[in-house]
This record gives sequence, C-alpha cells and structure tokens, in this order.
Amino acid sequence: MNAREQRLGICSSLPLSALLLLTFIAPLLAIAAFSIMPAKVFTLAHIPDFSAYAEFVREGYWKSLAWSLGMAAVATGLLLVICWPLAYAMVRIFKRFTLIITLLVVMTLFVSENIRLFGWVITLMKGGLFEGYMHSWTGIGFDGLLYNVPVIIFGLVYIYLPFMLFPLTQGISMIPDDARYAAADMGANRWQIFKEVELPLAAPGIVVGSLLTFVLAAGAVAESKLLGGQAVIVISDDVESAFTYGQNWPLGSALAMVLIMVISVLIVVTLMKVDLDKVMGKVK
Amino acid sequence: MSETSILHIAGLRKKYGDFIALKDIDLDVGEGEFLAIVGPSGSGKTTLIKLLVGMEEQTEGSIWLRGHRLDFVPANKRPTCMVFQSLALFPHRSVGQNVEFPLKIKGVSPAARKKKALELLEMFRLPADYYHKSIGQCSGGEKQRIALARALAFDPEILFFDEPLSALDYRLRKTLEKELKNLHLRTGKTFIYITHSLEEAMVMSDRIAILNSGKFEQIGPAEEIYNRPKSRFVASFMGDVNLFDITMDQNSGQVSIPNFSIADDVAGSMAIDPLAVNTLMVRPESIRLLENTETADFVTKGKILGKYMLGSRIQYEIEQDDRNVLIVETANYSRGGTPGATVRLGFSWPQSHLILEAAS
Amino acid sequence: MKRHTSINILFYLYGLLTLAFLYLPVVAVGFASISKSRYLRFPIRKYATGWYGKALTSDTVMDLLSTSVTIAVIVTVVSLVIGFFGALAFARYQWRFRKLYQKLILLPIFFPQTVLGLALLMWFNTLGITPTWKTAIIAHLVWITPIVTLIIAIRAYGFDPSLEDAARDMGCSNWQIMKEVTIPLLMPAVTSAGLFAFLLSWGNFPLSLFTTGADSTLPEWLYAKMVSGYSPLVPTLGVLSVAASAAVIATAFFIRAMIPAVKQARRNYQQAH
Repeated sequence: MNAREQRLGICSSLPLSALLLLTFIAPLLAIAAFSIMPAKVFTLAHIPDFSAYAEFVREGYWKSLAWSLGMAAVATGLLLVICWPLAYAMVRIFKRFTLIITLLVVMTLFVSENIRLFGWVITLMKGGLFEGYMHSWTGIGFDGLLYNVPVIIFGLVYIYLPFMLFPLTQGISMIPDDARYAAADMGANRWQIFKEVELPLAAPGIVVGSLLTFVLAAGAVAESKLLGGQAVIVISDDVESAFTYGQNWPLGSALAMVLIMVISVLIVVTLMKVDLDKVMGKVK
Repeated sequence: MSETSILHIAGLRKKYGDFIALKDIDLDVGEGEFLAIVGPSGSGKTTLIKLLVGMEEQTEGSIWLRGHRLDFVPANKRPTCMVFQSLALFPHRSVGQNVEFPLKIKGVSPAARKKKALELLEMFRLPADYYHKSIGQCSGGEKQRIALARALAFDPEILFFDEPLSALDYRLRKTLEKELKNLHLRTGKTFIYITHSLEEAMVMSDRIAILNSGKFEQIGPAEEIYNRPKSRFVASFMGDVNLFDITMDQNSGQVSIPNFSIADDVAGSMAIDPLAVNTLMVRPESIRLLENTETADFVTKGKILGKYMLGSRIQYEIEQDDRNVLIVETANYSRGGTPGATVRLGFSWPQSHLILEAAS
Repeated sequence: MKRHTSINILFYLYGLLTLAFLYLPVVAVGFASISKSRYLRFPIRKYATGWYGKALTSDTVMDLLSTSVTIAVIVTVVSLVIGFFGALAFARYQWRFRKLYQKLILLPIFFPQTVLGLALLMWFNTLGITPTWKTAIIAHLVWITPIVTLIIAIRAYGFDPSLEDAARDMGCSNWQIMKEVTIPLLMPAVTSAGLFAFLLSWGNFPLSLFTTGADSTLPEWLYAKMVSGYSPLVPTLGVLSVAASAAVIATAFFIRAMIPAVKQARRNYQQAH
C-alpha cells in the first residue's frame, strides 16, 4: 500500500463515492429523519414524536412486513434448490452451452420485469395461454391461476432466478477440482463430497446469492400487484401507498425504515463475513 | 505377474479422441517398493496416475492390485490414496480435520480419529496445537507434511504422489525428499511417485521408470538408468551427457567417430550393430583433460568456449573442430584450462556406454 | 467422474427447461401483441398487426420512446465514466478505505428499488427539486453505476499490475499509463458494462415510477396500464421494448464480431499505400 496507490485510489473513488453519498446515503438519512416526524408533515422542522412507528404496530403494518419476508424466504429457498443443479452443470458439465445459457439468462434482465410478469398474467389468467388452450382442446376449463400467495412466490422465483444462478455458479467454480478428487480418493461418496467439500467451499456464492434474492424479493412489489392482485399486501406496497395516496411521508418513511433495518442487518452481517476480492476472483 | 508384485499393469492404453496419451503400458510394482515414474511434461505421466487412482478410465488394458482387477473399482472404493500436486488440502477445514477426513468418511468415532490425527501430527513433527490451526496459516513445508499425514490416515495399500514437491524452493525440497525416503522406510508401504525431476527420483526411489511419449523407455534402478541408458532420450534426460554417432565403414568394417582417434583394441571390441543407430555415451565427469603425452581409449582435441563453476566441480564447454560442443566436468581442485585455450581430451572405454537403437 | 452420459443429458434438459421457463412469458406477450381482438383471450382466433401501426404513429408512444432513450443514453455515458474510475479504486489500487468503499458500492444493488425510488422522490422534494425525466437519470445512476463498476472491476481483478509498473518504468506519466495500458486492457469490460447500463436503464421501471414526475418512460407507462386495466397496446409496446433491447444486443455482437475484419481492412489499406 504505497502513497501513490493511496492517492490514485482516493481520487478515482471520489466521483462514485460522491454520487452515492448525495443520492443514496443522504436520501436514506432523510427517510430516517422523516420517519420520526409527526403524521402528515412535509418538512423536517417539527418536533419528533415517533408516532409513525407506533402506527406500524397499531395498524398491523407488521403483517405486510411478515408477508414480504416470509414470501422472500420461501422464494430464496426454492431458488437455491432450483439453481444448484443448473449452476453445477454450468460449471462442470456444459461446455459451450454454459455460454448460451449465460447470455440468454442475462438477456431476460434487459426485459422490463413488468413486461415479463405481464406475460405470466396472460399465460396464467382465465382465458390465458394455459387455460385458454386447455379449454379449447379438452373442453375443460379452470379458474385462472392468478391472485393467490403461491403465484406471488412463483413470480419472485421467476424474476430473481438470475440473481441466485450467477452467484451460485461463481461459488461452485471456486471449488478446486483437486479438492473433490482428493475427497473421492479418500473414499467419500457423491453425497459426502457434496456435504463435506462442495457445499462449504461454495458457501460464499450461496451466501451472496441467497442474500441478493432475499433482499430484492423482500422489497419487491410488482409480483404481488400484477400476479397476486390484492391477495396480500406487501410492505413496499404499503410504503408506496403511504407516500402517494396517503400523502403521509412520516408513515411511509417509518415503514421503509423498518424494511431497511431488517435488510441492513442482514447485509452488514453477511458482507462482514464474505471476502469480496475472493468472490469476484481476484488474482492473488 | 511376479509373486511379490502388488500392482500389475497390463497393456494399458489411453486415447483422447485421436491423441494417444498412453500406449501399451506394462508394469509390475513390488510390495513395499518406492517406484518413481519420470517423464517430461506431455509424456503421459499425469494421465497414467489418473488411471491408477480412478480419475480417468482407460481405453484398453487392465490394472490389478494383488491379483484383483482394480480398474473396475470407482475412485472412492480403491484402497489407494494420492498426494496431489496442489496437495488438495481442504481450506475450510482445520489441520486436524484435514488429517481426520478419511477416518470421518470411514465412520471412525470422533475420539478415535482425533487420537489418530494427533499421532500422525507427532509423527510428522507438527506440534499438537496445530490440530486447531487453519490450513491458510501453515507454511509450504507444513502443508506437505499435513497432506502426507492425511494420506497415511487413510492407510492406503499404495500411496501415489503427483509431483507434490515441485512448487517448493530448492532447500525445502531437498529436506522433504529425504523425509519422504525415511517415511517410506518407516512405513514399509508401496510408494509410486510421479515427477519430471530426475534428481528427485534418484534421491528417493528404488526403481525409476522413464516415460516418454506415452510409453516406458526404460525401467530400472537409478544407477542403471544413469550409467546404462537404453536410448539417447534416457541418456540426455538424465542430466548433461555427450553423445557421439558411431559409423562403420561398409568395406573395411572399420569403426569410427568423427574427430576422435580410437585405440585399435577398443575399436575391435565395440559390438555395434550395422543395422541400428549406434551411439556412444559419455558422462561429462568421465572425460579427462589430457596431459601432453597422456593417452586414452578415445582421444580428441578442442577449444575451451566456457568455464563454469558448479561448486564441487568445474564444467567446461569445449568445441571440437567440427563445431560439436562437448561438456566436460572436472573436480574443482584439478588442473584445467582457460577459455580460448586448445586442449586434448580423452576417456576410457569402460567409462563409456554403447546405446543401440532401432533405426526409425 | 465417468459413465455419466445419461445423467448429463438430464442436466441439458434441465437447462433447456429453465430457459423455456424464462422465455415463456415473453413468447406469450408476443402472441398477445398480434391478436386482433380488443380483449385478449387464448387461443387467438384472428391475428393482426394493426396495433403495431397504431403504436408507431401515436404521439404518446413517440414521447415515451424519446424519454426512455434520452435517459438511457445519458445514464450510459455518465455511469461509464464514473464506473471506470470507480472500478480501478474497487479492484486495482490498494488504498486504506478500499474495503469500506467496496461495501458502499454494493449497497444500492442490494436495495429494493421501489423503496429507493420513493426515498429519492422525498429527497428531491426536500431539496426543492421538481421531479422530471432529469431526476430519473439520477435515480437510474444510483443503481446502475455500481453495476457498471462491478462489471469493470471483475476485469480489473484479472489485470496484472506489473504491466502498469512496466509502463511507468519506461517513462510513462500517469495519464500515458491510463491511455496506453489501463484503458485498452479494460476496454472489453467497458463495452459490456455500457451495454448493461443502456439496457438496464431502458427496461427499468421501479426507479422511474416515482422519479420522473409528470414525464413517463415506456416501462412506467406499461406498468400504469397493466395495473389500471388491459389495453391492446400493452403487449404491442412490450414486444417493441423487447425488440429494441434485442436489436441493441445484436448490434453490439455484430460490431464486436466485425472488429477483427475492420482492423484487417485497415491494415490492408495501409499496406497498399
């Protein structure tokens, strides 16, 4: 760590740090400040009374938070199970196909998520792609598959699949071949190799992928609105309503703060344990 | 298959697409033997060890362990164990957990395997508190010993080594070579050691097998490989060497080497094969700088190009009239010459070796 | 480790299935966009491309497109400049606050975009700034610049620092090192990061939703229509949006594939003269 690199490091980090301080950290501080203001005020020149947090408990907003976190947790678990075999195959088995999958999966990220969710709406609704064709071929129809909790979780799984898949492939590619061969050489069977060697060595990828999907899914709103109808209200939906229809910034800020707190604790605890340089493949 | 053979390989062949990595490998390894398989990179030695431990499947041939077919057994069921070039120590496990790993897989109780691990650490002169140390905190030499301890914990019938010392610095390598040799004596196990370094192989092993382009060129004790190589490849692979083409006059049957005068009785007794490629091999230390009147079985002269201090010896590069360069080594106390000087050189027939190779 | 051919086939099938799962809704939107009827119902009885004509001649749609494109272009340029230097600080230089800085950069990516959008809306109001499409650029930058930084940083990790040292040893100034060594070596990552920046901005709606004020981007308009009720223009514009992304990607690949040919042509030209 010499003086020149110190200087270059600070100089080149400056624009980005400044951008994030002004447009990310500052708004968060503003939210924190508004969250302790009395109801329905639009400036910070008031005496804090924390009434918005009381409302969070009293009006049952915690239920929305519980739904958000619960559905995010289920979606994360499902994604781990769904993505592991694919990520494993992308690292170990597929050759050119890995590149094709990577490209095609990345490309879905460029399609607005509401368009993709809308695609599921017209696929799953009554008279949609599934029910419509089934009805016309077999004469048997069914009510649409939309507007329930499982379909919201389905939507979360669908939208956040890439955010689990890519960290997992990165994690799996961090397992040295020799470690697996050595374990087999010393008598470990397929399951023992998975449990004793692959899972712990891929842990950074698993942790980053799970954190990313959980956090994004916990703050998601489009899935519950488009696919779920009004089956359940999620916390981000409440935040949005408070800011827009309710015109109650302190309430919206308090609700956002609760979500932010939960997320921050998760992120801070996790990122402290993961070495970013290693996960991103720094050459030592 | 001999009585005491533990490992028997017959007609082993491995193809990758059109490329033949190994062709018709036959080998018998004796019980408790230390065999080194030596070859340059690309010779097929890595492929061979992968077949032996079960990481790859052969195209043809068979591998037997004490009379039982081994090549049908999956890697995790084979009673052999390998020390990897990378050592393949598990970075997420402590030193103790690494050593215990094979015992854990076998279902040994935690108390018993800890006891065994501590015994092994002691055997490799690693302090008992290393048991809880993480692999990342250990030095290169310590990691080697931990990898060996882990392999011994497995208690294999045969211990394979895939160039585990190649990444270490010279001094540490020398120390560990001797430790390995002692370990072999102490445990009495069969060691099969793959390396590209002949020096390493000569220090440690009972027998050396030289692998080149997917087949064995020669298998024998170090002394035989060094002094009586069967091919020019083996001769030059085993350190510095001088190789001379021998020609025979079609009419007179007179044997000659360009720029050399050969004593008559020696020329008559050289059993060369007119249909083969005949090469005379002389190690640098067997060539002497001759005094004015001194004579030898083979004599030539040349100009000293370079003089290099090797420690206990001095090496000369000497150019003959036809630009052929000889390598000569003398003890560093002996009389020599300076670069630019012209000198007479000679060596005796018993100190040279005749290589007969089929013409290709 | 061997004799796994049949299992491998299962893995390939699984990969194809996942891709089908990811693309099925896009295909459904495609079919919907060419349905003639005003109220969508599968199976589609009559196909028509009339909605495309309507979409392309509508002033509203043209406004939406030009807003979206303007935002995406500005976001791409600004995020690349900031992100390039940001990535060097992230991956290349060893400096005291690097670990802290790395974590700061990850936070916006890990942050729910809806909440971020609302926070920015409130922040702009507090500062007395009326939200327009210009504030949406700021909002996009908060999320996209860190992504751009990470993409370039991954490449910068694989970069041998001794190359810069060698250039310095041969007398290059800091600026010359940047121009002769650092920028050319990181260029592949910069182009893919630029592609990401443009496309992510083009497709984003949670951030735009709250920060564009009276203006509207294409994804935002689509979302508003989807929530409020079906319009036959929704699938049509959805397809157009996807097609635009695909066209940008195809162009990028084409240009990258053409680079060797162009270089060869230039060399031939120089040799001829």
